[in-house]
Amino acid sequence: MKTNRFAVAGVMVLLAALMLVPLNLPQMNDWLFRIATLIMLAVSWNMMASAGMISLGHSAFWGVGSYGCLVAINYLKLPFFMSFIPALLFGALIGMLLALSTGRLRGVFFAIATLALSEGLRIIGLMLPDFTGGAAGMFLRHGARPAAMVLYYSAIIAALLTVLAAWLLSITKLRYAMRAMHDNEDAAQMLGINPLFYRTLISTIAGAMAAGAGALNLWHSAYLAPDIAFSLHFAILAQIAAIIGGVHTLAGPVIGAFAIIGLSELSRTSLGIKEGYSLLIYGVMLVAAITFMPKGLYGILKARPARKPAREGLAPAGASPPNDAAQP
Amino acid sequence: MMYVQLAIDSLLLGGLYALMALGLALSFGVTNILNFAHGEAIMLGAYGAFFGLTLGGIDPLLSLPALMLVGFLAGYALFRYFLKRLLTAPQVNQILLTFGLGMILNNAAAIAFTADMRSANPSYASESIRLGEAYLPMGRFIAFGVACVMAVALLLWLHRTEYGRACRAVAQNQLASTLAGIDLKNVYAVAFGISIAIGVATGVVLSWVTPVTPFMGFHLLVKAFAIIILGGIGSIGGAMAGAFLLGFLETAVAYFVPEGIGWAEGVAFAVLFLILIFRPRGIAGQAAEG
Repeated sequence: MKTNRFAVAGVMVLLAALMLVPLNLPQMNDWLFRIATLIMLAVSWNMMASAGMISLGHSAFWGVGSYGCLVAINYLKLPFFMSFIPALLFGALIGMLLALSTGRLRGVFFAIATLALSEGLRIIGLMLPDFTGGAAGMFLRHGARPAAMVLYYSAIIAALLTVLAAWLLSITKLRYAMRAMHDNEDAAQMLGINPLFYRTLISTIAGAMAAGAGALNLWHSAYLAPDIAFSLHFAILAQIAAIIGGVHTLAGPVIGAFAIIGLSELSRTSLGIKEGYSLLIYGVMLVAAITFMPKGLYGILKARPARKPAREGLAPAGASPPNDAAQP
Repeated sequence: MMYVQLAIDSLLLGGLYALMALGLALSFGVTNILNFAHGEAIMLGAYGAFFGLTLGGIDPLLSLPALMLVGFLAGYALFRYFLKRLLTAPQVNQILLTFGLGMILNNAAAIAFTADMRSANPSYASESIRLGEAYLPMGRFIAFGVACVMAVALLLWLHRTEYGRACRAVAQNQLASTLAGIDLKNVYAVAFGISIAIGVATGVVLSWVTPVTPFMGFHLLVKAFAIIILGGIGSIGGAMAGAFLLGFLETAVAYFVPEGIGWAEGVAFAVLFLILIFRPRGIAGQAAEG
């Protein structure tokens, strides 16, 4: 438990330190913003994965968050901070409905349902041009955007709050329930854990988190179209961040988000790799991470000190039940 | 007459869907690993047929056997030497590894072939035959014919050959089939290879029916999922019925709903979601639970 608290504290300090980075380098701000939103998305994805719900359509939450925010800005004319309320509500609602409607689905079928949800929402968005602007999309109401600094600070604070929320959940009884559920839901049920309740709770919270990231991104880009809002790009990034950092751990998605944005910037700026190659690289990263380091960067970092006496430091959401290793 | 045309169109579409779903159902049924990269096998098959025709002047129907053989060998090797590690891996790895492979393949294809829409145009692709007031599009009809031949061949293989029977045995009960002396690893790889070969064949016949793009596989994959779940997992008959049902529903929506062609793309997602919620057993077969 102790190593974990330290890891969490380290992550929080790191994030806080980032806020103190002189925020006048435009490039740096942009990176921090992308890292912050990716952290939110990856933490949200990881929370669901830790409860046995593997989502391939996290863009559904991201997208409804973006649209919730768009409604707030363009139709309701709400100010910046208020616009997150409908976004979070939309995300939470979709998360809740997803968990309730797929209550009896396991593993791979849940994954397919999330994929269908995201793609279905994209098509609905495309077919309702009066509301979404159709394939051409829609711009934010002119003059609604806050100062860039407000946006960057908000993103970093939101990422901190997301990690904090995941941590708070992980120190409650919930973490045992989640670990039991991603190992064996039937056994969890026999132990008196009500899977549907926990699944719904986690999916609702995770939905709101991812929707918050989507809303922030809308404020950043000031433009939204169904193909962007429900693009699988973000869902894929969230999966990769969690896998590379260390799935089922608290610090993993955060480490992974830094690693991914760092790598993608590195490959773009210093190796001169074109934008079209980024998804190819992400695919290679995903396959390589699953194949060669199933416990992620966090697992590698943790492996050294843990060699001596204690293996007590299981991560909050259940870092390492024996079957987490990819292969004998 | 409109209804005759509707029946023809949905029948021809259903035949293609049946082939698509059979390929995916075979590997899932036998290995219990859902191949999220199956759509990429279809995509590569379509490109193979397209380049065979435009660069080599080879009719897609002639390049079909060779492309299927390549698909089989690639699928066999991929499973035997790489994917077999998934058999004992946690589910998150099973889902994300094939998903990641699919991402690599379609993005590599986008870089190698550009994202332009292509289409193989053999002479029969744009012909059609009048049947009274309705007409029969020749390209789709030939594609339908190929799909039927493939489906029948697969069924015969599953029921009449040693390996086919072994596949069915493994799908039913792994432990018992090991005890009966079946070499599991080999059967898995053969089933996976054949599944990829069928995926390639699906791509070849689609090459003159729909536009060929690097990302065409994803939507087809979701449709194949929808069909398998609609039909009921583990039931070949159910998958065939599901394919024709989806073909009919999509065609009917395109015909009767205003702006139906756009909405038709969403039918598979709606069907998938509704079935998963209300009847995870599908038309026939096992539940999608557990």
